[in-house]
Amino acid sequence: MTALAEVKEKAGGTVPLARWTEGYAPLPGRPDAYLAPDGTPRDSAGGAWSRLLDHLGRLGEPEMMARFVSAERHIRDAGISFRVYGDQREHAWPLSSLPLVIGAAEWRDLSAGLVQRAELMEAILADIYGPGDLVAGGYLPAAVVAGSPEFLRPLHGVAPPGGRYLKLYAADIGRGPDGRWRVLADRTQAPSGLGWALENRMVLARAFPDIFEACHVERFPAFFQAFRDGLAAGAERADPRICLLTSGPYSSTYVEQAALARYLGLMLVEGDDLVMQDGRLHVRTVSGLKRCDALWRRIDADYLDPLELNPASRLGVPGILEALRNGSLVMANMPGSGLCESGALEPYLDGIARRMLGEPLTLAGPPTWWCGDPDGLAHVRDNLDALTLRPAATPQRGAGRDALLGPQTLAADRDRAVAALRERPFDYVGQALGPLSTMPGWERTDAGLRLVPRPFVLRVFAARTPSGWQVMPGGFCRVAERDDVDPTEMRLGIRAADVWVLSETPVETQTPIQGRTPRVRRLAGHLPSRAADGLFWFGRYTERAEAVIRLVLAHLRSVGDAVVTDIAGGAHAPTAARIRRLIAEWGAGSAPNLPTAALAQQALSGRTAPGSARAHIESARRNAAKLRNRLSGEAWRVLADLVDLLSLDPGRAFTESQLSGRAERALSHLAALSGLAHENMSRAAGWHFIDLGRRIERAINTCDFALALADDEATPESLGVMLALCDSQLSYGSRYMQGVALDPVRDMVLLDPYNPRSVAFQAEAIARHLADLPPLAADGVPEPHCRLAARIVAEFRSGEAADFDAVGMARVESELERLADAIAGRYFPAGPQAARPEKLGGLG
Amino acid sequence: MIYTLRHRTTYRYARPVRFARCSLRLKPQDGEGQTVLASAVTIEPSPANAVTRRDYFGIEALGIRLDTPHAEFVVEANSRVAVDRPAPPEPEAGPTWNAVRDAVLASRDLSGAAPVHFLFPSARVPLVPEVTDYARASFRAGRSAYGAAHDLMRRIRADFRFDSSATAVDTPLAEAFRLRAGVCQDFAHVMIAGLRGMGLPAAYVSGYLRTTPPPGRPRLQGADASHAWVAVWCGSGWLGLDPTNDCAVGNDHIVVARGRDYGDVAPIDGIVTASGRQRLRVEVDVIPEDEAVPELALAI
Repeated sequence: MTALAEVKEKAGGTVPLARWTEGYAPLPGRPDAYLAPDGTPRDSAGGAWSRLLDHLGRLGEPEMMARFVSAERHIRDAGISFRVYGDQREHAWPLSSLPLVIGAAEWRDLSAGLVQRAELMEAILADIYGPGDLVAGGYLPAAVVAGSPEFLRPLHGVAPPGGRYLKLYAADIGRGPDGRWRVLADRTQAPSGLGWALENRMVLARAFPDIFEACHVERFPAFFQAFRDGLAAGAERADPRICLLTSGPYSSTYVEQAALARYLGLMLVEGDDLVMQDGRLHVRTVSGLKRCDALWRRIDADYLDPLELNPASRLGVPGILEALRNGSLVMANMPGSGLCESGALEPYLDGIARRMLGEPLTLAGPPTWWCGDPDGLAHVRDNLDALTLRPAATPQRGAGRDALLGPQTLAADRDRAVAALRERPFDYVGQALGPLSTMPGWERTDAGLRLVPRPFVLRVFAARTPSGWQVMPGGFCRVAERDDVDPTEMRLGIRAADVWVLSETPVETQTPIQGRTPRVRRLAGHLPSRAADGLFWFGRYTERAEAVIRLVLAHLRSVGDAVVTDIAGGAHAPTAARIRRLIAEWGAGSAPNLPTAALAQQALSGRTAPGSARAHIESARRNAAKLRNRLSGEAWRVLADLVDLLSLDPGRAFTESQLSGRAERALSHLAALSGLAHENMSRAAGWHFIDLGRRIERAINTCDFALALADDEATPESLGVMLALCDSQLSYGSRYMQGVALDPVRDMVLLDPYNPRSVAFQAEAIARHLADLPPLAADGVPEPHCRLAARIVAEFRSGEAADFDAVGMARVESELERLADAIAGRYFPAGPQAARPEKLGGLG
Repeated sequence: MIYTLRHRTTYRYARPVRFARCSLRLKPQDGEGQTVLASAVTIEPSPANAVTRRDYFGIEALGIRLDTPHAEFVVEANSRVAVDRPAPPEPEAGPTWNAVRDAVLASRDLSGAAPVHFLFPSARVPLVPEVTDYARASFRAGRSAYGAAHDLMRRIRADFRFDSSATAVDTPLAEAFRLRAGVCQDFAHVMIAGLRGMGLPAAYVSGYLRTTPPPGRPRLQGADASHAWVAVWCGSGWLGLDPTNDCAVGNDHIVVARGRDYGDVAPIDGIVTASGRQRLRVEVDVIPEDEAVPELALAI
């Protein structure tokens, strides 16, 4: 028992540290991060764990738990999530409340080893894609290189623009049997995890700000700034445009990619957003094609260029390798860098380090034998039961992954392995992978929490910056919730943990502003067409949802005030029937003659009704999911709440008053959403597109309402509902004393430019937005879509109520639809309707 | 033997194509028993840009870009080639297949000409355990590499049915193997997979084959076809084997390019920006110069 355990807790009990650590012991044969094999805290960790546990102990268990619960709520609200590969659902990010802590001295050694290994990988790539001395000199077998699917022959002889193959190197590490850090896998292709590390840090530092401060935890901002400078280094222009090429919204790490794009100020793009022109890479934006100077790719190189690499790829950009050949594009990491993930390199690394760096390898991987080498094959055959046999060339994954034969396998696997070694032994390596090392994790017992050793994998990162390699002070740690689970890949049963590198001295909180001051700018740069598309539809869907909800309230006779409650009779009364028909026409209800409550419930939350308010909100959320880097956390949270509000249990019949209560709450959420856009979004192109979508949709919906309720056979009753749907009863009442009449109502909901719900108002707003967006050419001639908008505006300015009979309204509505198409054609040319790159057919 | 070759490919698009980027690999190989006497490619519409490049394996490709809208795209390659190859060796000659494999593994050569690149699976020739099992019967211990490959070729010719309706250009090789049917491309891919599965480097060769018109009938224009076969590494060089015809490659075969599989040597490949269907027509003439030319004129 430590002295700390005797300190009294605020609440009067003892500090729980003694209970937490009682019985904590390393698992047999497995090195532990906290305790050395003899059960004393590791010296190499510099007492880091004791410092952390001491602080947590002072906090006390209830307070610690309470803080963590609020951290978990923040994770849910902010939509921090991940996807398991092959699974459509997103899971809330499982963060461990306990960081992995590492002391300063140990971290210095680890960092030095990591930098050496990164530099070695760089040297290997430069040689293999360049002069080829390593193979010619016998330091590396030709078959190890040729056998890797990441040896990309079209890149041979292409010097990396900016001079570097690797801009970001990562390694999964753990403690080896001797307790020293050891590499489990190298990540040189497109390492993931930086964004998760950042998210973990933001959540945990927020939950435990006092402990974070007191433990002198090293901060990240300087590393990320340097990493960003490294991405830009070597670009042709001084103020380069840097894009992050994502693997798309359905990738397991999309949320992370979006977070990084936002944090680093990079433009998040998909392959479709990019196009080669005149030998240079460009982004399609709403202002036309704009040059991309540097690209951080998060897709595997093979998918990068369907013209020169994998022709089946739909993720890449045809011809992009040309921009590397002519030096106009800097890429992180150079395609072909994935070669260094090959397990068969490991046996040769020490020799190569001595030859190329003049020093032995300090941070080694697991002992590995390549079976293409006669001695390696003999060793593996003789020690088959103690080794893990796995593909030599496919990129390494975590321990045991893709292994043909591990230490605990069945006889059938053994036969398979022996057979595999017969004809193509060179496809395999044998590795002596010890069990994973452990770190403390929480276990709940009846008496409260206690600490138990849990297997973990730590991913550490090194960035190539203009001033050399810089190691991120921390990393991305994954901990298994049971001791027999492999935590290498994020999935259920695995928790992520923040990584705290503890400085010996207090850490500067303010990062000094280094280097040149960026040019002051007020616009975030050009908006990619695809993002504009998403924002536009986000605006349309939220507005459509609002219209459906208003319609439902009218149907429930609870919209506005007195006017509507006057609707006479039941479902077959003329006005009620018109509303019901419109609900059915909009696809919000399956049939117009359902019982009132059932129809309302369907229109609000029908799963199968394509036009229900909930369907529209979910469509809006799908669009928002692709715009994670552009929407605030608050907007995301309101959307989540809206989905909850509109998810009514279909097995339960709600009453009319319950339904109108829900509908009203949903309306106020929608108002909050549009308020957020109005008050918080910069008036840059993105905001214009959300509002454009909203205005177009509102104009079309209002025409639809008017065609149903203010048509040539309108009754005072239906006109009253029309006013209510447009929120215009009060204004109407104050302007006209003697009840509702057709022309005044039409004037107010269609033509009145002062009424923010009239069609004319929407048309004017649309025209203003279009005028504010950047033109394609500077010749002063209005583009076709602007002329179309001007024509619609003119029609309203010059018209009077009598012109807008049913025929006139239908004409305006179809003109608005055409305008929506023209806007899409102009700003989102790569949208779903556009011509796609197709492969030329071939022949035998 | 001197050949005059004409290879004309026509793409017709349902809707005009605005943009295309293609690689053309149509110039016959110079060297290894062949001399290219003349070679020219004409392209319609004329490309905005054309650059000749050699890839890692030394295959010459003409990269072109079309940026005028077009409904038809025509490529015609004309060449004259002299072919004079040494007679193929006796089937059982040369080093054993194990010795060939060990030498490749020990090699320090990673250049484009090195056999080591052809030892591993490639995009269109994955290793298929069933194909390796099929090939194994030809690989007796102590047999020469060339002998084993020759035997595998003979068995494929005997066990497989030539059927151009059985497969398409993108049929996976495992499917062609299951059907035991296909065209020259399928036969070559299956044989390559079998050889690589046993640890021998094997390559895909594209080119043309001299055909003989039926007795007394003139040669019909455009009736020939492009062809494909296999080259196997036998320790000191590549030897050609044609599983479609069960024969060693001699002076009737004209090589255009040698790569890991069809994808490396496809005569025309590329990307077009299109939204409609495309139709393809290919005409090939392989005319040996000892054949009377006037007959050809009569046939038109």
